[in-house]
Amino acid sequence: MVDVGMTLEMVQASQMGMKALGAGLAVGLTGIGSGVAEMGIGAAAVGATAENRDVFGLALLLTVIPETIVIFGLVVALLLLF
Amino acid sequence: MLRPERMRRLFIAAPKGEIDTIIRELYRHNVYHIEDFVPESESPEELSIGHPLPGASDAASALIDVRAIEKACGIEPDNVEIREKIPASKVRAMIQTDLPAIQKTVKDLVAKRSDLESCQKKYEQRLKDLEPFAAFPLDLESYRGYSWFTVFTGHIAHDVSIDVPHEKYFSDQVDGNMIVVVVPNEHREGVERTLLDAGFQAVPVPEESGTPADNLKAHAEKVRKASEGIAQINKDIEEIRDRHTDFLVACDELLTADVERAEAPLRFATTEETFITEGWVPDDRADRIQEALKKATGDRIYIQELEIEDDARVPVEYENPTFASPTQMLIDIYARPRYSEIDPTLMVAIVFPIFFGMILGDVGYGAILLAMSLGLRKIVKGEGGRMLLKVLSYASVSSIIFGILYSEIFGSALPWPALIFSRHLNIGGAAGGHGPQVVELMIIAIWIGLLHITLGRILGIVNARKIYSGKHATQAVLSHAGWLGTMWGIMLMIWAFYAIPLMPDLTGLPVVAMGLNVAAVVGVVLLVAGILGIAQENPLELVELPTIISHVLSYARLVAVGLSSVAIAMVVNYIAIGMIIEPQLEAITPVGVIIIIVGILVLLMGHALNTALGLLGGGLHSIRLHYVEFFTKFYKGGGKKYNPFGMKPKFTEE
Repeated sequence: MVDVGMTLEMVQASQMGMKALGAGLAVGLTGIGSGVAEMGIGAAAVGATAENRDVFGLALLLTVIPETIVIFGLVVALLLLF
Repeated sequence: MLRPERMRRLFIAAPKGEIDTIIRELYRHNVYHIEDFVPESESPEELSIGHPLPGASDAASALIDVRAIEKACGIEPDNVEIREKIPASKVRAMIQTDLPAIQKTVKDLVAKRSDLESCQKKYEQRLKDLEPFAAFPLDLESYRGYSWFTVFTGHIAHDVSIDVPHEKYFSDQVDGNMIVVVVPNEHREGVERTLLDAGFQAVPVPEESGTPADNLKAHAEKVRKASEGIAQINKDIEEIRDRHTDFLVACDELLTADVERAEAPLRFATTEETFITEGWVPDDRADRIQEALKKATGDRIYIQELEIEDDARVPVEYENPTFASPTQMLIDIYARPRYSEIDPTLMVAIVFPIFFGMILGDVGYGAILLAMSLGLRKIVKGEGGRMLLKVLSYASVSSIIFGILYSEIFGSALPWPALIFSRHLNIGGAAGGHGPQVVELMIIAIWIGLLHITLGRILGIVNARKIYSGKHATQAVLSHAGWLGTMWGIMLMIWAFYAIPLMPDLTGLPVVAMGLNVAAVVGVVLLVAGILGIAQENPLELVELPTIISHVLSYARLVAVGLSSVAIAMVVNYIAIGMIIEPQLEAITPVGVIIIIVGILVLLMGHALNTALGLLGGGLHSIRLHYVEFFTKFYKGGGKKYNPFGMKPKFTEE
């Protein structure tokens, strides 16, 4: 059903808005996701590093693994917008 | 380059009479990595751990004294600038003559300081105890010594009325209010209950006499005197530090060397008349040390070169060109390579700055980071810190170069259009030219990912052939080839169906079967062969197949993180200049000047924050791409650090 009160410009503008919303959701939700994932890993990694300084490299590596999720979100957002 | 330094395994045996000469010679050359002798049940019973050389305990106790003085004076040998080298003989003489005097002075000063400190603490405590009573004009004697009366003193929530004969003082000038009540003994319990109901907390009366005000003054004076004394002693200690630092660090170094030498036999195997030691020497210096040892002992020594059996036991020393050596620090954070493995330092040294530059491509931020890394080099004295700063300076130079290519300075454009791909976003309507080329940049990042991972897998094949042997080596090589085949098979199939800019367009190839064109068929074949290759080593690894996609896509962060940094810079510029400063410039008023200053502050703060974020983002994400996406393809690590027996004298000379 087509709303007769809408012009073409309005439709285009609302499509842009939807895209922007989608981009925001993509970054925001994936950000929360990686935050939740990094929370546990980070806490354990700091604990392990305090016990043994040598595992710092490995701990850092494990901590940043979930970062990929938010990067994917950012990629999706950028592809949506441009 | 690409391999750790080659090592040779030496076996040295000599009569015990030569042990001192040999240890001295080994220590001087500073190349011999001692393999500690561990007595095992199967080793011949005649072999036992050696005893320290005579003089070990004297040197050790002198060293403890020197370290104690250094600690008291706050000297850290690692952070002391080398002014001049003192001859070892002079230091030895001074240890006999000067050291005891310095030690005594420092010890006395420290003891006096701790006395004063405890005195200061004592009177500070008394001040605190006395303070509540200063609110009342009563002598401290009048609070005690009654047989017929009870005195209540303490904090209370609010004033209370007492319905028995009493004397009462209340003050709300003190923290937590203060109350003093004197009642006859027979009413004690009743009054106590009344007080407790009002939240009474007893405060004991200090065991002093006189008025609280006078005592307060006297105690404060004592505290002041004690802190003055402490300040004076600190000054004295500082004077000693300024005068004797050179000598103390020289002592420290000399005695450390003495102790290390004297305790070396604890790492050797000895029999009744001889001793044996095994160790590692870099290939290019092995001949020289053998000759030197023979010369020093007059050929009363037996040296044999042994086969290297187990590569995990070989100590690992990097061998890299000078520009790459600071990057070793980043490799050490992950793990030192194993002896037979490829050392990735050189590749990281080249690729890491490029990644950093791609992410933080901005002339302004690059220049700030370059200035910072050069400036901090003078302040930071530790070895690791300096290496990191060098890596940072290379990264910032790369960031400046990419800034010129992207045409970016603090988020604004340089006078020319972007030479490669533009990252100028349309924030505040500022973008000129054709806007950000996000898709192109993404595809370049994916290309970098594909090539980087392919390089990693090829290195994996090389490593597998070096580390494993026989059937296991073939399996590992096939598995790496399988991963490569799967990845490129997927890519071929994508290219066969979709035309992607900047990538080969294979959609137009002739169709062979089932609607698939040539490229797609080759892709499917590669994919299936690849999966078989992976499965033949370990079928469980097939669950890792999705990482092919996720690892390649992960390189998109090279663009994504960079774009977010550009966005922050542009937003800061827009808020500070476009929204705050520019409207005021049209008609300057006194209020407008203040607003302009605020705008400049916002600009500075924003860019400072973005520099920090850029450093973190650029550094962590680039190194993470190496650690997670690159190293996992080929790198094992876990080599032992090469730690030669000896020391390069910094403060003394023979």
